[in-house]
Amino acid sequence: MRQIIRGKWRTAPIAVFGAAILILLAGIAIILEYNVSYGRDRLEQVQGLVDILAASEAAPLDFDDPVAAQESVNAFRVNNQVRMVAVYNRNGRAIAGYDRSGAPVPETIVTLPQPGTNAMRVSAPVEKAGERVGTIYLDVDREAGSRRFTRYSLLFVLAFVAALVVTGLGIAQAQLREANRELTDRADALGQANELLEEQMEERAKAEEQLRQSQKMQALGQLTGGIAHDFNNLLTVIQGSADMLCRPDLPDAKRLRFAKAIVQASNNAASLTSQLLSFARRQPLKPEHVEINTLIRDMEDMIDRTIGERIELVLDLTADGCTVEVDKAQLQSAILNVATNSHHAMPDGGTLTMRTESLSREGPRRMVAVEISDTGRGMDAETLDRAFEPFFTTKGTGKGTGLGLSQVYGFVTQSGGEASIESKPGEGTTIRLMLPCVETDESVVSAAVRAGALPEQESSSILVVEDNAEVGAFAEALLSELGHEVTRASSGEQALELARSQDFDIVFSDVVMPGMGGLKLAEILALEKPQLPVVLATGYSQEIAETGAGGRPVILKPYRLATLSEALSKALRGHAQN
Amino acid sequence: MRWGGQIVATLLGAAVLAAAFPSSAAVSDADVKAAFLPRFARYVTWPPLAAPSGSNPFVLCVVGDDPFAGGVDSAARTQSVDGRRIVVRHLDSVAGAGDCHIAYVAGNHGQSVGQMLAALRGKPVLTVTDSRNGGSRGIIHFTVVDGRVRFYIDEAEASLDKIAISSRLLALAIGVKQR
Repeated sequence: MRQIIRGKWRTAPIAVFGAAILILLAGIAIILEYNVSYGRDRLEQVQGLVDILAASEAAPLDFDDPVAAQESVNAFRVNNQVRMVAVYNRNGRAIAGYDRSGAPVPETIVTLPQPGTNAMRVSAPVEKAGERVGTIYLDVDREAGSRRFTRYSLLFVLAFVAALVVTGLGIAQAQLREANRELTDRADALGQANELLEEQMEERAKAEEQLRQSQKMQALGQLTGGIAHDFNNLLTVIQGSADMLCRPDLPDAKRLRFAKAIVQASNNAASLTSQLLSFARRQPLKPEHVEINTLIRDMEDMIDRTIGERIELVLDLTADGCTVEVDKAQLQSAILNVATNSHHAMPDGGTLTMRTESLSREGPRRMVAVEISDTGRGMDAETLDRAFEPFFTTKGTGKGTGLGLSQVYGFVTQSGGEASIESKPGEGTTIRLMLPCVETDESVVSAAVRAGALPEQESSSILVVEDNAEVGAFAEALLSELGHEVTRASSGEQALELARSQDFDIVFSDVVMPGMGGLKLAEILALEKPQLPVVLATGYSQEIAETGAGGRPVILKPYRLATLSEALSKALRGHAQN
Repeated sequence: MRWGGQIVATLLGAAVLAAAFPSSAAVSDADVKAAFLPRFARYVTWPPLAAPSGSNPFVLCVVGDDPFAGGVDSAARTQSVDGRRIVVRHLDSVAGAGDCHIAYVAGNHGQSVGQMLAALRGKPVLTVTDSRNGGSRGIIHFTVVDGRVRFYIDEAEASLDKIAISSRLLALAIGVKQR
C-alpha cells in the first residue's frame, strides 16, 4: 500500500511536465495551424484580387491598351500590402504594372524575378471567352512580420504561461504530497517510538514491581528481626514474671514487683504494635483537641527521664501556641520517638531544644511547627534521605525497629501536617513537625488519665461481647473487679438475643467477630434500644479505619483497667445526660 | 550575398531578353487593327436570332477593299470565342453582309463607306470603320492616337441594331456615343 502510494507520488511530476509540454505543443500546433490557415485564407483573398484584376485586364490586353491596363492596376496602389502587380500580354510582354519600391516591372515574364522573402506570389491567366489573352502576377506581403511575430509570440506566451502555471501547480501539489508523506512517516515513527516507550514503561513498571516486592521482602526481614527481638525480650519478662507470680510463698513486695514488671513489659509491647500500625497508617486515630504547648509542658518530666541527666532539655514555647486536632497518644509517641533518637545521637550529652512556632497563614489553615533540635552527631545525606523510611535504622541489630521516625511521618501526614528533617554530620539534627491549627474558642484540654486512680462509680449491669474466650474472661474479671455485674456473649447474634430479653446498662463489644460484628450489633441496638450505650473495643479494624465507628466510643486493645473504666463511665454519663 | 547575386543575374537576363525581342512599336497599325477585329466578338452580344447557333462559327466580313493583305485571316485563325471559330469573308459589296457578325466596312470604288453603313443600319452587324477611310463611322471607329490604334464606340447605333457592347470594351474607347 505504502509503496504503491510512493510510486504514484514519484510519477506525479513527470505527469505534470508531460501536461505542460502537451500544452506547449498544443500552443505551437495552434500557431502552425493558424499560420497555415492564415496563408490559405490570404492566398484565397489574393487570388480573388487577381481574378478581379484579370477580369478587368482582359479587354486592355486584347486591345493593347496599356493606359487602361495601368488604370486597373493603379487601383491596387491603395493596398499597401501589394508589393508588385505585373500584367503581361499573350506574348509575355508587360503592358502595365506597379512596384511598391518604384522600380519598373520587368518587361517580360521570363525576366520576372522570384518573389522576395515574406512575399506571396499569385498569378492568374487573363481569359476572355475561353481565350487566354495574358497573365497577371501579383506579389503581396505575407503579413507584416512584426504583426505576425506579435500575434504568434502572444499565443506562445499564453501557452507558455499556461504550461508554467500547470507546472507550478503540479510541483506545488507534488511538494504538498511529499510533505504529507513525510508527515505520515513521522507520525508512523512517532507511533513506533510511542509503542517502544510504552513497552519500556511496562518493563520498567515490572522491574519496579519486582524491586518493590524485593524491598517488601527485605522490609519484612528487617521487621521480623527487629520486632521478634523486641517482643521476645518483652515476652521473656512477662513469662518470667508470671512464672514467679505462680510460686505460692512469694512475699507481697516481690509479687508487686513482678506484677509491675509485667505491666511495664506489656506497655512496651502495646507501644510497639501501635507504632507498627501507625507506620502502616492503619492506626485508628482518635482525634481530640490538644493545646500543643500544654501537651509539651505535661511531657517535660517524661522526656527528661527519657533523655537522661547528661542532656539538658530546653523548652522554647511560643506565646500564642495553638490547638491542634490530633490523636494525643500518637503525638506524644511521636515526640517521645524523636526525643529517644536525639538521646541516642548524643551519647556524650548535649542540649535538646523543643520549640513551638506559630506559622504565618500560608495555606487555607494556620499551622504550628514543633521543632525538636539536638546537638548530636547529625546525619549524612544518605541517612537523611532514608530517615523516614520504615525499618531503616542506624542502630545495631535488635537495638531499633526502624519504625520510630516512620511512625512520626505516618502520624503527621495522616493528621494533615508535614514532617521534615534538617541535619548535617556533626551539626545536630532538627526535626520539624507541622500541624494544622484548629480555630476554636474553647480549647478542650484533655486531662491526663492517671493509671490506678479509678473514678468512683456505681455498679452497672454490663453485657460483654467477645468471641475470644481469654479476652472475654479477662474483661469479665476486670469489670467484676470494678464492681459491675457482667453478662458475657460470645457472638453478636447471642448478644442481640440477650439484649432483647434482659435489661443492661451498657454493652461492651469487640468489633471484629465471626458473623455479626460489633459495628453491626451497635447499629441494630441503636434502632431497637436507643437508650442502651455501646462501647467498642478493637485491636485493629479495617472497617473502623475506613468509615469510623459512627460516633461511638472505641477503646484500643490492649486496653488497661483505667482506660476501660473511664470509657465505660463516660458512656454511661453521656447517655444519662441525654 | 547569394540572393544579391541571383538578383543581379536575373536583371542581366532581363536586359538581354529585352534586346532580343523588339518592342510592339515595330508592328504596323494595320496588323494591330487586323488583330483587334476578331477580338471584338468576345465583348459583344448579338441578339439571339443573329448569334451563331450550333457549331456555326462567327462570321467576320471585310467589306470593300481589304487593307490588311490577309492579316485578318491569320488573326482570326488564332482566335476563338467560347470555343467557336471565327471565319473571315471578303465581300466586295454590302450585299450579303447582313449575315456577318462583324463587318469591317472599308468601302470601295463602287460604294462609299457611308453607303455601306446605311445599307447595314438596323441589322445586327457590328460595323467597324477606319478613320483612314473617311469620316463615316460605324459602331466602332478606328483611329490612331499618339501612334497607338484606338477606337470610338457608337453605343446608340449599337443599341438600335440590338447589339450589346461590354462595358469592358466601352472603357477602352476614346469616345463613346451614348444611347
